[in-house]
Amino acid sequence: METRGRMTIDAQGDALLLAGSIDESAALHELIGRATAGRLVLDLGGVTFINSLGVRDWIRMQAAAQKADLKVELRRVAEPLVHQLNMIIATRGNAHVTSFYAPYACDACGREESLLIDAVINAAALVKLEPPAMTCPECAAQMAFNDFPERYFSFLSS
Amino acid sequence: MPSILIVHPDRKTQRVLQRILGVTGYRVDISDDLDQGIRLMDHVQPILVVIDGSAVLSSRVNDFFMHARAKGAEACMTLLGSAAVDQVPKILGMGAVTNLLVHPMPVLAEELTITVQKLIRSDLFGAEKYLLWGTNLQETTVTRGSQRAQLVAHLSEQVRARGQSARVASMAMLVADELISNAVHNAPVDASGTHYRAELARDQELELDELHQVRMRWGCDARYLAIEVTDFFGSLDRDTVLTALAKNDVRESGGGAGMGVALAYRSCDHLVFNLAPGRRTEIIALIDVRHPPTERLSASSYNVFVERT
Repeated sequence: METRGRMTIDAQGDALLLAGSIDESAALHELIGRATAGRLVLDLGGVTFINSLGVRDWIRMQAAAQKADLKVELRRVAEPLVHQLNMIIATRGNAHVTSFYAPYACDACGREESLLIDAVINAAALVKLEPPAMTCPECAAQMAFNDFPERYFSFLSS
Repeated sequence: MPSILIVHPDRKTQRVLQRILGVTGYRVDISDDLDQGIRLMDHVQPILVVIDGSAVLSSRVNDFFMHARAKGAEACMTLLGSAAVDQVPKILGMGAVTNLLVHPMPVLAEELTITVQKLIRSDLFGAEKYLLWGTNLQETTVTRGSQRAQLVAHLSEQVRARGQSARVASMAMLVADELISNAVHNAPVDASGTHYRAELARDQELELDELHQVRMRWGCDARYLAIEVTDFFGSLDRDTVLTALAKNDVRESGGGAGMGVALAYRSCDHLVFNLAPGRRTEIIALIDVRHPPTERLSASSYNVFVERT
């Protein structure tokens, strides 16, 4: 495992697992050199934080990937990154998001949970801004999507 | 006699605003439209003009704000409906609205009252004004540049330990990181006005002497999580703040320098700038911990207060 500032990078299967904070120390653009067979797969489920300097670095990485004609796949994109993808269009680049975390809340027991959505299986529903149904892990009631779909899913529309 | 001027076309809303603002003891004048408001300003001396966000669509809105500013009045816009949220980029782009309050009742009443009281009393500083009585504020002094990362991580742990959601903790981290980073690197200016630390790498270690130290305080009253960051240069001015907030355009931006304030604004529910030119800048971010995202408008409030000497 490699550490850059408060971020760790771990190779697992065909993906690089990024975890922790993406900030001025992350040097994300260097990850381009770790692409294999024209693909860079990033698993972002462990990312807890990204600041404006991390965003700048992320955009540089995306630009470098486009320049090198690399396909970038983003898996298990954590909520802090989804917010940036929604807020700043340049962060999206040409990356393909295959799954991401989204906020759900249980009306029955009040539990809030970040749950993984498969963007490929649910592609048709997500285009219609329909979040997939989720079951509360605590009381088994149906959970409600805990944000505005038109806002939270906007990063999928580019 | 100083007064408060309300401009709103709807009679019922006029009455609601009059009740809220009337408690200040100041005379409250009401006009139905901007033209009437401009004429009224020739006869009254408002300290504050309160108008609805829909007025931004009027061709007279710039004249109105010019009149208000010439009269020394602060401009406050309220957005009373979700449709008005669409006007936020336009309002920000005007660079004339120093106070934008977007939340529905009863939060709007709280925000409006605090805004007016701060202006009337010329007592701007302190997150306490936004929190319920008895709320304890934790205070930390940033003495090294590298402390930012630890502080932000610690804040997140503390927020979670106090029962707040991961979403709130994540928003708190982003806001604190950007505000501290701004205070450490962008606030310091020399006699010629040069921001001599703005270009330094953010991961370069900096020992901060007393002048360069930054104060962070935070607290939560189960309505708001408040994060207050203060520098003692006071180099941030009104126009710079309004320009930074208007970077909606954050959507099209490349990230990094100059984006911190815009990101902080979009990551909290209310951002308050208390500016004492040449002495200190205090920025307070308020994160609503009561309402889930689906019960809030998708825009944030802000205030820019400048200490009058």
